[in-house]
Amino acid sequence: MDGVRVGKRVIGAQAPVTVGWENIPKVEGGPAKRLFFTWFQPVMLFALLAFWFYAPNSIAKASTAVAIGVGFKVLLLGLEWLAPRHDSWRLTWKELTSDLFYVGLGYTLLRVVDSYIGDGAIIKAVQHSFDWDKLSWFTSLPLLLQAFLISFVFDFGQYWMHRGMHNWHPLWIAHAPHHYITQLNINKGAVGNPVELFLIGLGVGGFFDFVPRAVLLAGAFGLAVGTYQHINVRFNSPRWWRFLFNTTEHHSVHHSQDFEASRSNYTNTWVIIDRMFGTCVDGEAELLGMEGGRPMSIGETMSFTFVEAWKSIKARFSPNGYPHAVPAE
Amino acid sequence: MTTAAMMTADTLPTGAAQPDASGAPTLRKRLTDWIWHIHGSVPLDPGQSPDEAFDRLDPLFRTTGTARERNGDTLTFSKRDAAAQDRMAVFSGGMLWIEAQAEGLVLRYRLLSKALLYCFLAPLLFLAFAQATVALGKLESPKIEAKKPKAKKTPAPLNPIDKALGAPAPEQPKKKGGDDDKDKKPSPTAGYVFAGIFATLYAIGRVFEARRVGALFRRSLRQG
Repeated sequence: MDGVRVGKRVIGAQAPVTVGWENIPKVEGGPAKRLFFTWFQPVMLFALLAFWFYAPNSIAKASTAVAIGVGFKVLLLGLEWLAPRHDSWRLTWKELTSDLFYVGLGYTLLRVVDSYIGDGAIIKAVQHSFDWDKLSWFTSLPLLLQAFLISFVFDFGQYWMHRGMHNWHPLWIAHAPHHYITQLNINKGAVGNPVELFLIGLGVGGFFDFVPRAVLLAGAFGLAVGTYQHINVRFNSPRWWRFLFNTTEHHSVHHSQDFEASRSNYTNTWVIIDRMFGTCVDGEAELLGMEGGRPMSIGETMSFTFVEAWKSIKARFSPNGYPHAVPAE
Repeated sequence: MTTAAMMTADTLPTGAAQPDASGAPTLRKRLTDWIWHIHGSVPLDPGQSPDEAFDRLDPLFRTTGTARERNGDTLTFSKRDAAAQDRMAVFSGGMLWIEAQAEGLVLRYRLLSKALLYCFLAPLLFLAFAQATVALGKLESPKIEAKKPKAKKTPAPLNPIDKALGAPAPEQPKKKGGDDDKDKKPSPTAGYVFAGIFATLYAIGRVFEARRVGALFRRSLRQG
């Protein structure tokens, strides 16, 4: 495989990756189907933004956001079933069950842990120690600008955390299990070692004072854009959409079995951040995973980070971990 | 001696089947087997030999991570890290054998699924998480009550742009209670919900996967 040169890198030399939007297949079928899969994403995003902007205070609550989030994911699961992007990514009972296990961990165990040592708790402690007040000037900004800033600043932090995970061994061993997924489905974003899921959730948003409605509006970006990272559906995303936002195509390149391709498209929502820092690769891949597509069991996913950390520490501090000195003759 | 009798206990998937003195595979049943064992039978077409039947089933076991052993009329297999799209991925091992019955030859199978077993146990895990959250809440509640109630800030007025666009004005803070107070207490609801989800998934999987594998064997045996 020759691969394709993108900037200073050669993408697709180890595993197949399609590079360039012009080479990516379009949705096939009748005009109604093409119309639906072209406009679904923008219409849902603007509908959600309009909903949260105009919803009465009695409805604009976190519990409504959770209900909409669950309903939207069920709708997308239906789309995956009706119009799969790749048959090789079809959701099976076993895949759905194991994905939901990780989702469940996120809503239960991780949420409790996060309340004690997550970013909220850390920021609270910092503010208490230094007697800082929140940056309250934020609340006077227009709601949509607040929402954009919340989403963008959080994604900016995630970009660097994610990029760090691909470049620094201690963070990589937390993130690596997520890269063993061999197909993209709605709940695959939750698959990974709990340490990684904790780290990726860290943000600086707690330093700011936001209007609750702005937080809900920012959540609309996460739901109506970030969710498509892991989905087995093909959309004809408009040009402006794929320029600004992360797409399934971008994220499939990130999960490709090709090493260089996997070191691209780090953002969750705003792929324009990747464009700013030269890590964006427009394209798509079907063959995903690590070690030639070896699946990782839940047990190994849970233990991988700790086992690898132990091995690394042992290698670092063990006298046998370094090459033996060869006596001079 | 039949091939099943030649196999030792080590070569059989745990708990699947053991040969009796006469050599026929007998199934050592435990009360809990129904949770993760799936068994059934598919009649062979008239004139179809056991060799032909196993040849037709063979592609199902020629997959990454699958170890299989064929001994005459019996096939045993075990799987590790099966690919997501492996049609037998749900099963971690099992045994298929062919029996002569009055109506002709019949393929019988007994399959083990660790995925079903873990899914059966998952509701217990999530119920445990829910109970742990309740216990933590009880431990935390004196601390929360001891904290001085913080005076709630009056929300900032709407930005003129938002006002012009017709966004609702922010709500004035309530004096007592409200959602903020509820949010501070850890809630066990998610644990209960996921316990229910996994109980449902188990019921669906136990029925659906049993039917699906029976249909898969039937289709494979019919196809040339």
